[in-house]
Amino acid sequence: MTAPQVIEPVSQPESQAASPRSGLAVGEFCIALGALALAAVILWQTFEIPVSPLYAKVGPTVMPLFTAFGMGLLGALLMVSALRGGWQTDDEKETTPDKVALVWVAAGLILNVLLISQTGFALASIVLFVCTARGFGSRAIVRDALIGLAFALVAYFGFAKTLGINIGAGIIENLLERVFFGSTPN
Amino acid sequence: MLTKRELMAGSAAFGGLSLLGASSQAQTVDLLKMFVPAAPGGGWDQTARSLEAALRATKLVNGVQITNVPGAGGAVGLPQFLNQWKGQGNALMVAGMVMVGSLLANKSPLSLTQVTPIARLTGEAEALCVPQGSPFKTAMDFAQALKADPAKVPVAGGSAGGTDHILLGMIAKAMGVAPSKVSYVAFSGGGPATAALLGSQVAAGISGYGEFGEQIKAGKLRVLAVSSDKRIEGIDAPTLKEQGIDVELFNWRGVFAPPGVNDAQRNAMTAMIEKLAASKEWAEVCKRQEWTQITLTGPDYGKFIAEETTRIGGILKELGLA
Amino acid sequence: MHAFEQLLHGFAVALTPVNLMWCLVGTTLGTAIGVLPGLGPALTIALLLPITFKVEPTAAFILFAGIYYGAMYGGSTTSILLNTPGESATIVTALEGNKMARSGRAGAALATSAIGSFVAGTIGTLGITFLAPIVVDWALKFGPADYFALMLLAFVTVTAVLGSSAVRGMAALFFGIWLGLIGVDLQTGQARFTFGVPELLDGINVIIVAVGLFAVGETLYVASRYKSGTDEIIPLKGSLWMTREEWARSWKPWLRGTALGFPIGAMPAGGAEIPTFLSYFLEKKLSTKPEEFGRGAIEGVAGPEAANNASAAGVLVPMLTLGLPTSATAAIMLSAFQSYGINPGPLLFESQAQLVWGLIASLFIGNVMLLVLNLPMIGLWVKMLRIPAPLLYAGILVFATIGTYGITQSPVDLVLLYLIGGLGYLMRRYDFPTAPVIIGMILGPLAEQNFRQAMTISAGDWTVFFTRPISATILVLALLALAGPKLLGFWQSFRMPAEPMGGDA
Repeated sequence: MTAPQVIEPVSQPESQAASPRSGLAVGEFCIALGALALAAVILWQTFEIPVSPLYAKVGPTVMPLFTAFGMGLLGALLMVSALRGGWQTDDEKETTPDKVALVWVAAGLILNVLLISQTGFALASIVLFVCTARGFGSRAIVRDALIGLAFALVAYFGFAKTLGINIGAGIIENLLERVFFGSTPN
Repeated sequence: MLTKRELMAGSAAFGGLSLLGASSQAQTVDLLKMFVPAAPGGGWDQTARSLEAALRATKLVNGVQITNVPGAGGAVGLPQFLNQWKGQGNALMVAGMVMVGSLLANKSPLSLTQVTPIARLTGEAEALCVPQGSPFKTAMDFAQALKADPAKVPVAGGSAGGTDHILLGMIAKAMGVAPSKVSYVAFSGGGPATAALLGSQVAAGISGYGEFGEQIKAGKLRVLAVSSDKRIEGIDAPTLKEQGIDVELFNWRGVFAPPGVNDAQRNAMTAMIEKLAASKEWAEVCKRQEWTQITLTGPDYGKFIAEETTRIGGILKELGLA
Repeated sequence: MHAFEQLLHGFAVALTPVNLMWCLVGTTLGTAIGVLPGLGPALTIALLLPITFKVEPTAAFILFAGIYYGAMYGGSTTSILLNTPGESATIVTALEGNKMARSGRAGAALATSAIGSFVAGTIGTLGITFLAPIVVDWALKFGPADYFALMLLAFVTVTAVLGSSAVRGMAALFFGIWLGLIGVDLQTGQARFTFGVPELLDGINVIIVAVGLFAVGETLYVASRYKSGTDEIIPLKGSLWMTREEWARSWKPWLRGTALGFPIGAMPAGGAEIPTFLSYFLEKKLSTKPEEFGRGAIEGVAGPEAANNASAAGVLVPMLTLGLPTSATAAIMLSAFQSYGINPGPLLFESQAQLVWGLIASLFIGNVMLLVLNLPMIGLWVKMLRIPAPLLYAGILVFATIGTYGITQSPVDLVLLYLIGGLGYLMRRYDFPTAPVIIGMILGPLAEQNFRQAMTISAGDWTVFFTRPISATILVLALLALAGPKLLGFWQSFRMPAEPMGGDA
């Protein structure tokens, strides 16, 4: 069942084929290492679970142990595969990820987490929207910000007015609430 | 799936209620803020929502806003109530025995003694039930079988360390069986536990009487005993004590003010809840929900909480959970 | 027939203009909340419970029933269009549905999902009407040992989504099992893998993981290759509606999905997710074009969609016949009964005939309403795919955030969502399938708990899984599902040595 060599359907002409599968594949090596590390963490944390006197015939650590060993075994198999040149498809190997785009989107996500409980839902959504759109090449910041705002406000007031849920009011929400409904939400 | 954390939600009420202003003058209780450390629909949430209805009906408050912070039997909500609600004179948290247990079981550094006790309001007796065809005729039959070989008497109930589990531990202890030896089968809620009992998958079941009530009326389950101190009106079952098993347990629920409120605020809240507890509106709610009114306020309530914490902690230790 | 007469009375109740209005409000609201990941029918009904103080019981339950059925429809729409499942029961729909949408068949995917849901919902409701007492007797016979066998059978499904390598697929499965173990252990109350974070005590919501892996991960992946222009969405290819061939490939999966969904939904520990897994597996095995699975096979949408709606009907069986809540939604609906002073139990059908039959009739009406509401919307939904990529993907991320954070207001959940999104990107880049994570996460804890319940009940006797007839039968089925095609191939090659058959048929 294990096929470390993994022959992928090669659609590229021969001349373009990636380097032959031998030697260490760095990305795959890191992933295999990650899987092994996870197995170790699971094992370590499993021993942290207090096992009460066995009134339950099968204790709370049986499944975690099974998971740890399964993960460890699969991590080892992945490692073998990584050391023999990895498994990434040729298509993926040849494509260099657009790092700038990834950084923009990731920045949007991180800023969103940081802003959402501080400045409210709408502002955080705008930042996320603008950053992501920028990652996909959009330069119309004002337009993106307005769309993001509209999107967030529809969601916000949809929640607040239909179901009575307050999903994180901030500066913008309170301002609009005062303008349109004449009171501040709590 | 019933226990999955679902949300943190603000005030409820279809359309309009959320428009209530925040003109909170604490003394007149224009707006009462209630904190429910559980998901909507559960026992504490129902208590909060029933309180809301009764408080409005008796004109003790004008508006109520309910906030749910579910998770881990209240262990997720309590820190928030302690920190972010500190000193708010118009706020009440609904909690109860389950939280005492879950804080201990989750080894939380926090305790219910850190909030300001206002009043114990209701209690729900636990019931010990068997399928219709069970050989057990009395609670003593069950207890003797438990004594003979606890492994042969699997008992269904809610999650481990909860009220149902605690009661079984207490029965075992009263019979001289180590609580850690009982065969307790935890289900994710009263529904699945009742299903297992109806299908005779287990020997007996323990849950709040309400979970079983209709099945008993329909003749599908038999109730062997209830866990209250005396018989309950409308329930044809003896207490455990009557049967010679010296155990008494109420799944009580009550209200608490945040820490850091001043005496005047505390007294105002207590007075309001006392008035409510004496009202016929509240009596009706309790009757409909099959809750027993066990009102207790002031310093007595504080003392009660401390005692419960010790008692529950002891039994959880013997169950191997704390 | 008695039930039939009662049902007619029920229609008389449900068809009043006021109750029709409530049904419309419910189905619309249900669709809207079904669309949002994180906000499910249980929560919505819980938030609307105070309405029980204001309107009469029949109207309230018609509203709730509409929300319940509507949520399933809404959940599929976002699964197909945005790869963002709104409900856990519609995660499987995203596997093939979103692939169809990307290759220009969004209209057909939405149509087969809506019609399949209608067919399954209607058959399921018929099942409630005429079969409820029989089904419930049968469902109660299932004990933990039998459920464990059922989970093992469902685990076989993972073979249908392993992708190009068994090792990577299994690694994804084990990762999912581990995610599922996080939280307080039901049987012993001990916290596992919570790392001292109280928010993790109740476990990780599977929707967060699904949305993280599918939607956030996908967005990161597309962003990383957007300039090279390889991954393009084709909004529409061919007819907007289902072609004759797509009809022919859909109707059998609808019926099979219903046959799986209704009985499993009626089981006290069955749930809505397992039938969708089983249906997906079954359709892939039975398909004449199994190679299309993973690229947008319509059977993989039709079957699971029918299964989740049929199971939604199934869940109502123990609720109405025994007063047993077997899902979060049913539990909330029961507490609504209680706030009217009605105690739902085995006598409900007799003591509250008008209410119960009105509710059942409104389920039929709600289903028709949902079909009528959803079909014309398809054209509009498909247009969504024409939105330029920067706005579409930015919208998806904001949308996923609204669903996750809006409900719980927990930054922990949001951080988890994004971290899992990052992981989803890596998995995509290194050719790991993501579906096994979800399967492991849903089935792992269920299998574990049922296994341990069974072992406690049997006082530690392992043979219980083989001596109980139901459990033994399901285990044989699981074995056949796993090794069946190979056995069959072996047998046939033995019979006809000249013409050996391939392994997986």
